[in-house]
Amino acid sequence: MKRYDLIIVGAGPAGLSAAIEAAKRGIKTVVFDENSRPGGQLFKQIHKFFGSKEHRAKIRGYVIGGQLLDEARKSGVEVILDATVIGLYQDREVVVKLGEAIHHFKGNAVIVATGASENMINFPGWTLPGVIGAGAAQTMLNLHGVLPGKRVLMLGSGNVGLVVSFQLMQCGCEVAAIVDAAPRVGGYGVHASKVARTGVPFYLSHTIVKAEGYDHVTGVTIAEVDEHFSFIPGTEKHFDVDTICLAVGLSPMSQLLKMAGCKMSDDPKKGGQVPICDTYGRTSLSGIFAAGDVSAIEEASSAMIEGRMAGVCAAEYLGYIDEEEEKKELAELDDALNGLRQGMFAPGNRGKAIEKTEEGIDISKNLLKNGFVAEDEIERYPGVTHREGIHPVIECTQNIPCNPCQDACRQGCISIGDKITSLPIVTKDSKCTGCGMCVASCSGQAIFLVNEDCGDGSATVTLPYEFLPLPEEGSKGIGLGRDGKKVCDAEVVSVRSLDVYDKTNLLTMRVPKEYAMKARFFRKA
Amino acid sequence: MNALSDRSRDIGPFVEKEGDDLLVCRCEEITKGEIRKAVHDGMWTITEIRRYLRAGMGLCQGQTCSKLVKGIVARELGISPAELEPATSRAPMRPIEMRVFAEESKEDHDEN
Amino acid sequence: MSERIAEHPILGTQEKGKEVSFTYDGKQLKGYEGEPVAVALKAAGVMVHRYTAKRHEPRGIFCAIGRCTDCVMVVDGVPNVRTCITPLKEGMDVRTQAGCTAAESEDRP
Repeated sequence: MKRYDLIIVGAGPAGLSAAIEAAKRGIKTVVFDENSRPGGQLFKQIHKFFGSKEHRAKIRGYVIGGQLLDEARKSGVEVILDATVIGLYQDREVVVKLGEAIHHFKGNAVIVATGASENMINFPGWTLPGVIGAGAAQTMLNLHGVLPGKRVLMLGSGNVGLVVSFQLMQCGCEVAAIVDAAPRVGGYGVHASKVARTGVPFYLSHTIVKAEGYDHVTGVTIAEVDEHFSFIPGTEKHFDVDTICLAVGLSPMSQLLKMAGCKMSDDPKKGGQVPICDTYGRTSLSGIFAAGDVSAIEEASSAMIEGRMAGVCAAEYLGYIDEEEEKKELAELDDALNGLRQGMFAPGNRGKAIEKTEEGIDISKNLLKNGFVAEDEIERYPGVTHREGIHPVIECTQNIPCNPCQDACRQGCISIGDKITSLPIVTKDSKCTGCGMCVASCSGQAIFLVNEDCGDGSATVTLPYEFLPLPEEGSKGIGLGRDGKKVCDAEVVSVRSLDVYDKTNLLTMRVPKEYAMKARFFRKA
Repeated sequence: MNALSDRSRDIGPFVEKEGDDLLVCRCEEITKGEIRKAVHDGMWTITEIRRYLRAGMGLCQGQTCSKLVKGIVARELGISPAELEPATSRAPMRPIEMRVFAEESKEDHDEN
Repeated sequence: MSERIAEHPILGTQEKGKEVSFTYDGKQLKGYEGEPVAVALKAAGVMVHRYTAKRHEPRGIFCAIGRCTDCVMVVDGVPNVRTCITPLKEGMDVRTQAGCTAAESEDRP
């Protein structure tokens, strides 16, 4: 039996982060992953991450994946791929299928970072080819470059449903609708808004009645549900689609920990069966740790910090650092993790209906119902101001732990302050140069540069644009409102694609000046 | 003492319902009605359901349906899904050919 | 086929292995070496991977990461192969599965 100081199961964000923390202290560490590529789901995440600098905010997920792999390699972590862990025993014996044989390893410590699996929901026709998990769509699009379908209905308005809807559109798919049985959009409002302004309708309090088709999906019927989630007759709506995507939550993949004999609990707030562990991932079994989604469903950003925590704890357990150093390291990581666990979407707020922002401003009802902030609601947020000349309009309306916009502006136009969840404000006296760094830095694509009056009856609106083909300068088309409906004619003035924008193109369109605060997307005629 | 330990508790008769023909376990093709009926036949735990119906015992080993099965059984028993013990976790944790499962590697036995 | 993404606004053009030939139910198809068999099939417009044992219902890609086992087919004579995580190789023989064996044409509904 081969022995390691530390065996980590899962080479996703948590597992790799744990491995780096351990290996840089000289601990002989191996990471097993059943997939043929490391990185877990990070390489499917093509959007910019939220958070602050220490959480690698505004960096795209797949780039973070690459960074982690580099760090792992440099710190001497051994990552073994196509290595399926089929068993974990109390004495930290790890049984792995490698190739065509079974291998046994013994870890002086073991960190389980196996992540989560997708929940599914059943309805008539759910087994038809063409009904897929949202993760499957991401895998096909972003890892393998193949379209799951041409016209897709998304079930689920959490961040996964919203982000994958956007990714589908980035590849040229049409998203027919986003449907959720819940009465409110579950994910970040900014994720919903960037989908809604392209014209995707949201159907909240709706769910799938049936998938239609003979040997693959050709359509879907949805209907409204009442407060007991029963269908309301007469509310059926039909869509011709070839794909139905299910994004109805994740469950921790904690079976290995249960098998090893860790004390478990069933905690709906954490997504299901999870090991009972302390803040730093110490399970009930000495020398076995858990990190990332396996111990509670959260974001990849939190998983990376939890991974580091488990790595530090394992280092102390193995005697590579003393308790004092462990304490110091964990305190720093605590701060980083607490930074992410704030705001409206914090784990403690799960399932709560929040009516007001931390600033005391009413949350947009329309955002939660239809995915976009209505015209009569947008003016009440502190990032939305009016002034002469070009200036940022920040349509950030929910308290999310995220602050890259404040660092992006060299003129100091944007301020969030010390509390990372505060809504950004546009400062009074600073002078916007129209550089566009704030637009490109906003992971939620919620910042626009607006010149409300160019002096000739027109206004310009600069918006983030991550689709192909890129409209050319001078192309004529229409300006779409936040609801994705036509508000006016529009002409493209410029399209900027600088390296520093990191693939978020800045499209500037000219619109009649009365539409400066209304037009938020461009569609070519 | 929890709701599961008193097996003489009357949970009422099995009554067919709309949606009983809906597939739950995709691998073994077990329907919602079959699972509901199994509860009334006395199968009150996930382990019993698995052995009785094979729901969650197919190729994927319950990866897709375990949460759905749990929900149906819990509802039938009038308890919260959190009160139901999930199925036993045991090796092999992933689908694996018996030929491979039985193939113990020799190369790791030199150390220790 | 337009099922493949030629250029992605964020990821650009994706690197693929060399083009290889394989057969699907005896028909010649092309795909890229190393990509999952299911991806090559998807790019060729194939939706049905198997028919189930009891109800003889069609199944295809569902989870795409080797978890759900719905996309299994008979590959080079071996049944129950998860095509979504099996790398494509030149000359592979991929067959629609019916129950646990390769489907004969009369197995299809």
